Amino acid sequence: MSRYLILIILNTPLILAGITNSFVTYKLHRTSRRRLILRVSLWLFVFAALVFAEPVYNFLFSRGLTQTEALSLFDVIQITGIIFLFYIVSRIHARVDQLERRTQDLHQELSIRLADIPTSTKHQG
Amino acid sequence: MRQEPKPRICYVIPAYNEASVIGDVVTGLNGIATKLGQEFEIVVVDDGSKDATAITAQDAGAHVIRHILNSGSGGATATGLSYAQQNGFTIAATLDADGQHAPDDVTKGVILMAKGGADLLIGSRLMNTDGMSKVKVLGNRGLSFVTYLIFGINITDSQSGMRIFSRKALEQLKWRTAGYEFCSEMLWRAKQQRLIIKEYPIKAIYTDYSKSKGQNNWNAFNIIKSLLQRRILEAFGE
Repeated sequence: MSRYLILIILNTPLILAGITNSFVTYKLHRTSRRRLILRVSLWLFVFAALVFAEPVYNFLFSRGLTQTEALSLFDVIQITGIIFLFYIVSRIHARVDQLERRTQDLHQELSIRLADIPTSTKHQG
Repeated sequence: MRQEPKPRICYVIPAYNEASVIGDVVTGLNGIATKLGQEFEIVVVDDGSKDATAITAQDAGAHVIRHILNSGSGGATATGLSYAQQNGFTIAATLDADGQHAPDDVTKGVILMAKGGADLLIGSRLMNTDGMSKVKVLGNRGLSFVTYLIFGINITDSQSGMRIFSRKALEQLKWRTAGYEFCSEMLWRAKQQRLIIKEYPIKAIYTDYSKSKGQNNWNAFNIIKSLLQRRILEAFGE
């Protein structure tokens, strides 16, 4: 089996998961339409890069524009790893962002409520 | 005919280690605000100070909200405005705790806001730069230009701490950055919420103390970095 095909097969589930997550977030009203378009476009760009990797390499090689060797199995693993990391980072960023927002809100609300407690009761066990 | 509700004004002063000046700032503002004849409250948000900022402000007659952790100027301002929103104030005004803003300028802004026509009023120090050092003028103009480049908002003084908020702005404005970059981010959020932003000229009072407490121009690079990061990440984030 062609290594380029293996690359596509390994990475397609990650790309589909990324696109699905973007749609779920949008449908749950947690993101805007503009951000949905940007995120889906980014994942489609990654998919297009994988699909066209072989024709682009063949084109460049046949015209003497590159002397590098064709994709090795190690390259396939490496690229899959990078895309997997990209997927994980985008998920973690969303979570950290949400957590940061909640912590800020909690700190804010706690400070306001504590300020409303009369000083005499603040020291009662 | 239905009458407009009487304005209730909340003056918010975010403060960090300002014990030596906060008393005078609160007292000065109290005197001028009383003359306006409208119901008001002065709220000092002590952003985790290590000195007696909270006690001094309280003794001067302010309602003090103490942050458990130091969270930056943006965080302290957000807490103060959230308090104003929760307690039904119709107008809120923020000013710096280091005494660089004249209380007259704050009440001038409040009167302008009460007349209507704006949701967010910025007191601009750069409409009249008398008394400001060239370095400060350059730094602030630079950051206003960066704010224009990143967010497309044309304001002469994007970093001014003197801001007046309508009830609508209090309800709708939320920002994420906690440091000084919140000044620019707030304008961006206001633009996203289609709030009307206007400016009016104010005079900055630079004493040796306020000069020592003010932002270092080199901090501008951190602000720009943080704003760019926020702009890019938010394009892809949730």
